[in-house]
Amino acid sequence: MNCADYREAIAADPSESFDGGAAHAAGCEECRKYRQEMQALDEHIARALAIEVPELRLPELPPIESGGGKPGGKRASGFRASRFATPPFWAGLAAAAVVAAVLVVGIPQEERSTEDLVGEILAHMDHEESSRQVTSVPVATRTLDRVVSPQVAGMDQDIGLVTYAMSCVINGRTVPHLVIQGDKGPVTLILLPEETIDASVPLSGENVHGVLLPVGNGSIAVIGQREDQLDEIGDIGRKLAESVEWNI
Amino acid sequence: MHTSADFERRQRFERLVSTFHPALYRYAAWLSRDPGIAEVVVQESLLRAWRSLDALREDEAAKQWLLTIVRRENARYFERKNLNMVDIDNLSAAEAATIAETGEPDLDDVREAIYGLDIEYREPLVLQVLMGYSTSEIAELLGIRQGAVLTRLHRARLKLRDILSADGCRFALRDNR
Repeated sequence: MNCADYREAIAADPSESFDGGAAHAAGCEECRKYRQEMQALDEHIARALAIEVPELRLPELPPIESGGGKPGGKRASGFRASRFATPPFWAGLAAAAVVAAVLVVGIPQEERSTEDLVGEILAHMDHEESSRQVTSVPVATRTLDRVVSPQVAGMDQDIGLVTYAMSCVINGRTVPHLVIQGDKGPVTLILLPEETIDASVPLSGENVHGVLLPVGNGSIAVIGQREDQLDEIGDIGRKLAESVEWNI
Repeated sequence: MHTSADFERRQRFERLVSTFHPALYRYAAWLSRDPGIAEVVVQESLLRAWRSLDALREDEAAKQWLLTIVRRENARYFERKNLNMVDIDNLSAAEAATIAETGEPDLDDVREAIYGLDIEYREPLVLQVLMGYSTSEIAELLGIRQGAVLTRLHRARLKLRDILSADGCRFALRDNR
């Protein structure tokens, strides 16, 4: 190994784990200095790369079907799991009864999906309760753009002061979660491209009063904390439904 | 109803994720050069990892498995959003500050110089220095020949040394004097 080969190799691997490196350096003072320089540089590179890491925030983990298949909603996984189990003799009768009930009641797949979606939205509202604060501090424009622009091509800018913007996972998709300051308190907006629904669905729960609106190939949840916010929620929802253009 | 198998699966996932989260975040941050995008990419990656956890046979292979997921998810993110990789000249002061809050100007210079490297040089450097990967492991992860990895690493360090010397930082040379 000559000096040129050694220097090329040590710059690629300052730990000198390559064959013949140590032997060459032992007999060449200039190359030893070069090695020292590269190793010192590497120490600084290592420190520079070790940027601060934010706290671990686990996404909402969807249930997984037994047997390692693709995940489904709670209902779906329940039905499928029972199909793979070895049923007792009476299970056939019970299954027939369930099928009959489903046929009579007529719960279509889309309706179940919407129910699951609503459940996820309400669970997420509980999870991020701290986002709904009364404040006059707007979220940084760049943060807002980073959260919204991947999925939304256009939106009415006049809906209110945006004070919270976060990319959140709902129903297995990363979507924009915003909070604006309404006249009577914070209003949460969850923009859900690709989550199509047939008609508006009221959203209600503890400190949750709002609506899930169909908007093109997606939907938008507009949620306040008090019942007397519903008129304003209706106005915001209309503005969004008329102005939002999805990117996806 | 949750079974003990569900519980164990979740425990395994949380154990792996809490162990490797710093590495995953830093890898994503240095790939995307944007802390916000890195967080989104890591979140998506964790979700993907959760779904396919059963494909991971041995926990010893978890780091490489998770890094591969992050790498693909990062590429997917930029494809999906039809974005170019972030240009160093377009980084806002706020973003630069997020990455460079060391209080040590020389260290910030090194960080900025690494930011300025093209992805083909930056990525193997991160994998080698930060993740402790060998050149053959980097070659496997990136899907390129080991010789190409060696060339990129060699050029990356020379570029950094030149940038830092030109900036008057001379960080790399100081320890020899």
